[in-house]
Amino acid sequence: MSNAAKRQTSTLDKVLRVVLYAALLAMAAVYLAPFIVMLLTSLKDVEEIRSGTLLSLPGSLNFDAWSKAWSGACTGSQCEGMAPYFLNSFQIVLPAVAISTLLGALNGYVISHWKFKGSDVFFAALLVGCFIPFQVILLPMARTLGWLGIANTTTGLVMVHVVYGVAFTTLFFRNFYQSIPVELVKAARLDGAGFFTIFYRIILPVSTPIIVVTVIWQFTQIWNDFLFGVAFSGFDTQPVTVALNNLVNTSFGGKEYNVDMAAAIIAALPTLVVYILAGKYFVRGLTAGAVKG
Amino acid sequence: MASLTIDNVKKRYGQTEILKGIDISIEAGEFLILVGPSGCGKSTLMNSIAGLEDVSEGRILIGDNDVTYASPKDRDIAMVFQSYALYPNMTVAENISFGLEMRKVPKAEREAEVQRVADMLQIGHLLKRKPGQLSGGQRQRVAMGRALARRPKMYLFDEPLSNLDAKLRVEMRTEIKKLHQKLGTTIVYVTHDQIEAMTLADRIAVMKDGEVQQLGTPQEIYDNPTNLFVAGFMGSPAMNFIPAKVVEQNGSYALELQASKPTVVPFPKPESLKAYAGKEILLGLRPEMITEPQPHKEGKEFVVTADIDVEVTEPMGADTMVLTRISEAEVNCRCNPAYPAKADETIAMMFDTSKAVAFDKDSGKRIDN
Repeated sequence: MSNAAKRQTSTLDKVLRVVLYAALLAMAAVYLAPFIVMLLTSLKDVEEIRSGTLLSLPGSLNFDAWSKAWSGACTGSQCEGMAPYFLNSFQIVLPAVAISTLLGALNGYVISHWKFKGSDVFFAALLVGCFIPFQVILLPMARTLGWLGIANTTTGLVMVHVVYGVAFTTLFFRNFYQSIPVELVKAARLDGAGFFTIFYRIILPVSTPIIVVTVIWQFTQIWNDFLFGVAFSGFDTQPVTVALNNLVNTSFGGKEYNVDMAAAIIAALPTLVVYILAGKYFVRGLTAGAVKG
Repeated sequence: MASLTIDNVKKRYGQTEILKGIDISIEAGEFLILVGPSGCGKSTLMNSIAGLEDVSEGRILIGDNDVTYASPKDRDIAMVFQSYALYPNMTVAENISFGLEMRKVPKAEREAEVQRVADMLQIGHLLKRKPGQLSGGQRQRVAMGRALARRPKMYLFDEPLSNLDAKLRVEMRTEIKKLHQKLGTTIVYVTHDQIEAMTLADRIAVMKDGEVQQLGTPQEIYDNPTNLFVAGFMGSPAMNFIPAKVVEQNGSYALELQASKPTVVPFPKPESLKAYAGKEILLGLRPEMITEPQPHKEGKEFVVTADIDVEVTEPMGADTMVLTRISEAEVNCRCNPAYPAKADETIAMMFDTSKAVAFDKDSGKRIDN
């Protein structure tokens, strides 16, 4: 009797398991479908695209569209492909991520371990920054950049992203540092360490998880940004997102969907790589503070 | 090594006063324990001594130096925290030498000092490990090692043993005492454990609500508490507080209790009871002063034998605690385990009031000193 019951549940278990996996696979397919279509399309030639369906496989592996997207496609009047803009994006993203992460870490350290009169108000004010829509600051920021003399430059874009990102990075670091016992800082102060020594020797070495989270977050945000890029970049400092838009909107004769798709994948590649390499730490870092209590 | 003087220190957060004028002074080399219930201000006072919190009023002197406004690193003190606060990213050796490094001690000297401290605390085999790989007791030792390495003028211990299990706590307690005897340094030690306070201290400051209730040697505090709070806080089980009526007897004063039958016991300072004649006071009597009848004490002054109604017995091995009710108050008696006290029976007990104290029922203040 008990055996039979056991067997029954185990068959039921198996069925449920199959249903579960089927559901998961279906969801994964839904999420992956756009990317698969992009990938397949980028490998076809224009003729194949016109005659086949979205999901039909390419007749042969053809990387022409990729090389054209990288170095030959026209974005507006220039025909140098995505390559120069790809580099532009890196020139914006790397310093912006580095500076905003470092500032966020310092802010978080001060707010959680060197409380001063009004530090809570300061933190609340910073938080408001997280809720300001991009569009709202376009005009004032344009004025500010012009006034500072860095309109249409990479420096200007870096500054915009740093200013906008510091609210988020501060929030991340503050929440993480909140879980670091205050005694640690007290002990270091009694040991004779100063503000920066404690930060550099005690706090930063235990911050790896939150640094990873912040870097991924900032990297994706800034790399994927289009609005600031299109509003504040100059002709030769356009980031890759703006270039992609221009590339897709520029056509001589027939629309080259394969080149468009390849360019889109190229534009998305760095964030994809970052997620694949560090995604594990991202989830771990997000929950680190919560588990520790 | 240095003396410590705390002169009328007050600490306010907005309207709330956390420390209400603390006056404590100890000699160089003394072991001072700040003891009291949670929220009594003992940790705040400790942090003020360390310079981790500013005081609102008053002065703090280490030796002859006024350090009231000095920064923590300039006070030359080391602190052991309840959570140990070891730097998680550094090895044990680096933890111990960090303070020396910050004070720019040359590397060779630092290494020698780490070795000395490690030998003293027997943690030599742990030097290369990270704090995460240590047990609670080992972390405790390392935290002490970090404090010892700098050879500061004064050590502060903030409830250092409260995260250890009972057995280890007793071991480390002894170890701290040995260490103090060996080094002869000034130590300020915060705890809420009255046994730690009794066993370790040269001087105890019992605190409550931001005020020092009493400052004295452990024996003074135990025998001569200034008020009901101190009397109830120190000692385990706590002192018995028995409501007693002051009666006139042969031209002097004595106390009447309701044991099994009404019983009159003498009091060491009867004249102090005069103002309370006919009124009720609280008689403070330690459990060890109510015992089974002991022949060698028979007939002595301040010794009275009376029957009590046993409610519960709690054998503890060395003694058996007998719980009874006298004048409506629950009373603990410490008896020899061989004495046949049984629950719900009536049995004779010997009351020794030679060390008894008396408190005003309303104010809780001592009457007899």
